[in-house]
Amino acid sequence: MSAITSLFRNDYDADGFRTCSVTGLDVHRSVENHVKLFGLTAVIALAVGGVFAFTVAMTRWEFIGFLDPGSYYTHLSLHAWNLLIFWMVFMEIAILYVGGPMVLGRKLPLRRLASAGWVIMALGAVGVNASILLTEAPNEAPLLTAYVPLPVSPWFYGTAIVFLFGTTIAALPFFATIWFETRGTRRSLPLVAFGAFITGIIAVEAILGGIAAFAYALAWRVDLIAAVEPGIYRQLYWIIGHGSQQINLLAMITVWYFLTHVVGGAVVVSEKVSRTAFVFYLFFINLGAAHHLLVDPGVSAGWRIWNTSYAFYGAAFASMIHAFAIPAGIEAGRRRRGQGGGLFGWLTSAPWGNPVFAATVFSIILFGFLGGITGVVMGQMQVNMTWHNTFAAVGHFHATVVLGTTLAFMGLVFFVIKTMFRRDFVSNTLASAVPYAYAGAMSIVTLMMMYAGILYGVPRRTAEVVRNIPGSEFSFAAAIPIFMIFGIFAVVAIASGALFILVSVGSLLFGDRLPGGDDGGLLPEGGLHADGGQPIHAVELRGTFTLCLVFLAVFIAIYVLNWYLVTQLWSIGA
Amino acid sequence: MSDPLEDPDDDWWNSPVNRRESIWLGLAGAWSVGIFAWMAGFTQFGDQNPIGTTYDVDPEQYQERVAEYKEAAEETEDGLVPPGDSVYVGAMRFNWDGLPAVLEAGREYDIHLGAYDVQHGFSVRPEENLNKQINLQVFPGSEWVIPMTFDEPGTYHVVCNEFCGQGHRTMHGRFTVVEG
Repeated sequence: MSAITSLFRNDYDADGFRTCSVTGLDVHRSVENHVKLFGLTAVIALAVGGVFAFTVAMTRWEFIGFLDPGSYYTHLSLHAWNLLIFWMVFMEIAILYVGGPMVLGRKLPLRRLASAGWVIMALGAVGVNASILLTEAPNEAPLLTAYVPLPVSPWFYGTAIVFLFGTTIAALPFFATIWFETRGTRRSLPLVAFGAFITGIIAVEAILGGIAAFAYALAWRVDLIAAVEPGIYRQLYWIIGHGSQQINLLAMITVWYFLTHVVGGAVVVSEKVSRTAFVFYLFFINLGAAHHLLVDPGVSAGWRIWNTSYAFYGAAFASMIHAFAIPAGIEAGRRRRGQGGGLFGWLTSAPWGNPVFAATVFSIILFGFLGGITGVVMGQMQVNMTWHNTFAAVGHFHATVVLGTTLAFMGLVFFVIKTMFRRDFVSNTLASAVPYAYAGAMSIVTLMMMYAGILYGVPRRTAEVVRNIPGSEFSFAAAIPIFMIFGIFAVVAIASGALFILVSVGSLLFGDRLPGGDDGGLLPEGGLHADGGQPIHAVELRGTFTLCLVFLAVFIAIYVLNWYLVTQLWSIGA
Repeated sequence: MSDPLEDPDDDWWNSPVNRRESIWLGLAGAWSVGIFAWMAGFTQFGDQNPIGTTYDVDPEQYQERVAEYKEAAEETEDGLVPPGDSVYVGAMRFNWDGLPAVLEAGREYDIHLGAYDVQHGFSVRPEENLNKQINLQVFPGSEWVIPMTFDEPGTYHVVCNEFCGQGHRTMHGRFTVVEG
């Protein structure tokens, strides 16, 4: 117990503030302790979800065939809810508190609401887990989507609503901070606070959709209404189903701006361009949820095309802006310090041994190349016919939320261990190894998922089909070699994830306490703020421009290949 | 200032944008508009579009329609030969009602998709080429009519790719496409 209470102790002045030795921010105890509370809860969800990642992956790897179909869908539901929802959303509330009151140097307002929000969220999370575990026939495991009219326990819908309600409560102190800070002034917030604010608005939209969807299904399950329309439920559900992924995206991008700055010395190359990109997200990104309905009956082609394209790809355009702006920030920051010449010297000389930096940069690169490109491609209405509900779709979202968001959040957890818990890593070597091992193995896993889905048509959400489809001579046996690679690297990836948990928990319990003023080796060479140098807009951003051209070339190649596969199909549609 | 943790300068909106960033904005913008135009245009000039007509139908009523269709169809060893250009498929836990069916290559059929109980996924591919596959969502309460022309003879396997319950993985059906 004392080990746990000591985690929430730091040296604060009489007003409860201290100055962070890395960021220079004035940090109040109330903010810091809530960030720790939500962050630790998130890591617990990560560990729980990670256990089910193992059982699920070892079942899909039919060579092992770990679970019978009955348990498989239960484990898959627990995997999805703990990782995609609880790990992410608890982290995101922590990120809102960092992006709001911590960056702005304020106390956490409405502290009781923050704590109450945590309690309600925790109750909801435990409730969802329990409702999945206790599901009995004729009810089925909900998976992530709980599509009506498949019978799912009403307790599931109820506890999911409780979780969403708690999240809304927990977000209120953040909005109050922004309100107090900007009321009656024409102030422009720092970019990280601005990004967090847009994230918060997107989150509210998503949560309202989620409460509507689950309340609709719950009303039907408890016989308040006689029937449900699957199409209406799907529209409502995907407001949160994909909206929550847009929260992950925006929170991750905000973290990218934050961490590349504090550990990589990045600058903002253009406030105007980066902020405009966030505003594009605000207007357009939630339209994209329609890409889940591209091969549904009853929705017109015009509606599908307009929405899945986020209105002429307004949100994809915004992501491509960040794809340039963030590496450009690192390049400009380091070139101005004279760190690294040539085309890529600024990148090769960067602090790659720092796991916070490595995790962040791998997250940026892998999200873009594997997650972002596939998302836009599979989100085209006709291409979606070949991706929908295949294992490739699972590959896509493991590239976005695992390689992208989870890696970035792992970097953030390491950062918080040093800067807020003020603990040194139990082993620098192991900590540095985590992003390399995890990103490397998980990249191969996601690629194999995509190959299995697109090149072999292997469906998602099934306990066995590759080696055997019961009652049929047909199977997807041609994909067996792909699954051998998938399985082996899934084991490596999950072991790397376990290493992350071990290093994090080990450092919290047994790591040396960092002396006040020690930056824990996090700060970039030359400190956080380098003096002098040429104006940012005049820095030659040759390296970033080259990287972005490579990105565009890969994007075009994958786009053309996918469309080629579509045109090889028999003729379909009016 | 150029620090994401501090308020920007007062004139941040008027600060010049780096030349290469401006070029990138142009490239990314052009690509965004271009892929929109291709997707929208393909509905006009392309042969593969998930577009059909949807009718609201009671699941029991749809089941009756499929039963009538099966009555009228000719039964062969490889499956039902449809009486006309309409092919009915009824998705149910854990079977494809109306399948297997025998179709002619090069002939356009109206494929009617509907479910009797929960949501299902209509996922089709030829046996010898697994990367040619399509996936369409099937609802109870909707009858979705999509025209299709199979150009190559062969066996096409249908699996369910939306989780529909414990026996989901066993849901398998077949089209046998013969020379027309």
